[in-house]
Amino acid sequence: MSTAAGEALAREGNGFRGPLVMAVRSATALLGGYAAAAGSAGLVARVLPVAQVEATMWGIVLSFLIYAALGLWTFAERRIVRVVGVIWGTAALTFGLTVLLGVRA
Amino acid sequence: MSTPMEEQTGLRKAMAWIHTWLGLLAGWILFAMFLTGTASYFRPEITRWMQPELRLPYVAPPRAAETAVAYLQKVGANDDQWTVYLPDDRTTATRIFRRLPPSPEGKQRFVPETRINPETGDTLAARETRGGEHFYRFHFQLQIPHPWGRWLAGLCTIFMLSAIISGVITHKRIFADFFTLRWSKGKRSWLDAHNVCAVLALPYHAMITYTGLITLMVMYMPWPIDVNYKSSDVFYEEAYGRESQGPASGISAPLVPIAPLIETAMREWGGGRASRLVILHPNDQSATITVIRHGGDTLNAHGQSVIFSGSTGERLSASAPPGPAVETAGVMLGLHMGWFADLAMRWVFLLLGLVGTCMVGTGLVMWTVKRAKPGMPFFGYRLVERLNIGAIACLPAGMAAFLLANRLIPAGVPARGALEVEVFYWVWFGLAAVSVVRPVRRAWMETLAIGAMAFAAVPIVNTITTNRGLAASLTSGDGLFVAFDITMIAAAALLAFAAWKCRKPAKAMRPSDTVSFAPQTRELTDAA
Repeated sequence: MSTAAGEALAREGNGFRGPLVMAVRSATALLGGYAAAAGSAGLVARVLPVAQVEATMWGIVLSFLIYAALGLWTFAERRIVRVVGVIWGTAALTFGLTVLLGVRA
Repeated sequence: MSTPMEEQTGLRKAMAWIHTWLGLLAGWILFAMFLTGTASYFRPEITRWMQPELRLPYVAPPRAAETAVAYLQKVGANDDQWTVYLPDDRTTATRIFRRLPPSPEGKQRFVPETRINPETGDTLAARETRGGEHFYRFHFQLQIPHPWGRWLAGLCTIFMLSAIISGVITHKRIFADFFTLRWSKGKRSWLDAHNVCAVLALPYHAMITYTGLITLMVMYMPWPIDVNYKSSDVFYEEAYGRESQGPASGISAPLVPIAPLIETAMREWGGGRASRLVILHPNDQSATITVIRHGGDTLNAHGQSVIFSGSTGERLSASAPPGPAVETAGVMLGLHMGWFADLAMRWVFLLLGLVGTCMVGTGLVMWTVKRAKPGMPFFGYRLVERLNIGAIACLPAGMAAFLLANRLIPAGVPARGALEVEVFYWVWFGLAAVSVVRPVRRAWMETLAIGAMAFAAVPIVNTITTNRGLAASLTSGDGLFVAFDITMIAAAALLAFAAWKCRKPAKAMRPSDTVSFAPQTRELTDAA
């Protein structure tokens, strides 16, 4: 590992683990990640152009992968504002869209 | 702007960090979920072992159904609904659930599970026990009131899934180090053990974790149903076939003989086994008989079903073949439950489950090994150290005590099933609590040794308290009881070996070694 990379690591380390930032990050991963995964799964289920039951099941089956991926990303992305914006934004957007679309007729 | 190299190390560092903390927070529960879940691959067999007074013959589904219906006509001819779980080669008793007509106030009334002899129709008289059901239920409910136990298990499972993904990302580049550094020096560390357990069975770990979430998917993720259906019942109907419903006609009509219907259904499935019957409004003109296929016949654990009229025997309908998504979810469920697996495959699953248990256990121990320093350790360190002993070394002793309690609590004691479960918790948590007064290494050694002795005692106590000891089982060719005794001895040997390994400080645990540990290996997991 080069010295430059090592210094970069040390710098990241400080910003990454501040207690308040960490709390926001964890809450965003756990709750925001779930909300975004649930919203995305719902949207997939609502708009996927296959039979209703199939679209629903694809949404459910994929939701856990989405949750895990989003949850991990909140710890991989350094900029906390971006993390909060993307995760909670995804949740709001996907839930908003499914509400607008309404229950499938 | 950061260079690609920095970005990569940054990502890997973050993943190593989150891997460590996900694993630590969920590890103790995950260890227990892994071990009891592994035991649950043999759920019916454990139940059979725990009721040694029962020796039931195998009875084919059509005949077992006839016996069950004859029994039900005797005790509940006017019931609302009968549900019959037919025996198979693993579960030898027929299990019956009855729904009575609603009470005058309109409340649903049920008769609790009754088990009958599939040949004679007599109700079974055997010691009361939770059997293998105890490990199975604990595995995903953690003995915490509904629904919180299931939510906690789900939370730990999503932690596990995230730990697997972050672990793989962390491990990627280190794969080379794994061979070039460690193996050439012949140095075995906890990290090696953790990596070997994780990498060797990685597909299994990923499969069992993801499919675990699928088993309770509708509870964990109901939103996709809500956006598509006004009532979730419609979703279930579309996914798994229509459950026959509707009121009784009030006109009485005798139920047609059951065996030919089962044979018809089994022919339709190309010889597949019937495993469950739902008979709605028996002895009414509108009666329906739903025959459901065994979940172990196919990878998809959701069995097909055929519905017949109960008064005419006419075939009314059958479940539609599932689409790709429903099939995917059903296969995932099947992979988790392992119903499809034959005996050899079931043992492979058991070994893989044990490898997973070891992965979680070594990961937990690694957290302390990497933070070991000379002098008095900080509070969190000591807490983790003690919780590790309680979660890893004391649980096996509790499981063995549960089996011993089954043989030692007299068969007639009231509520003895719950008593067995209490013994499990008292020994597990009690041992963990008592071990706190011992020095850490002694505590590991002694609790593991107690677990070893408890497992070794199982075949002995079984020989003394029943007439189905190892010698008798060998002569009578009772494969289940022979295998059970051998498994107990193997578990005892494994725990005794672990206890013996604890007698001296492990090399990596010595402070002098630990200091050089991280720089030597240059692994990002060490930095975490």
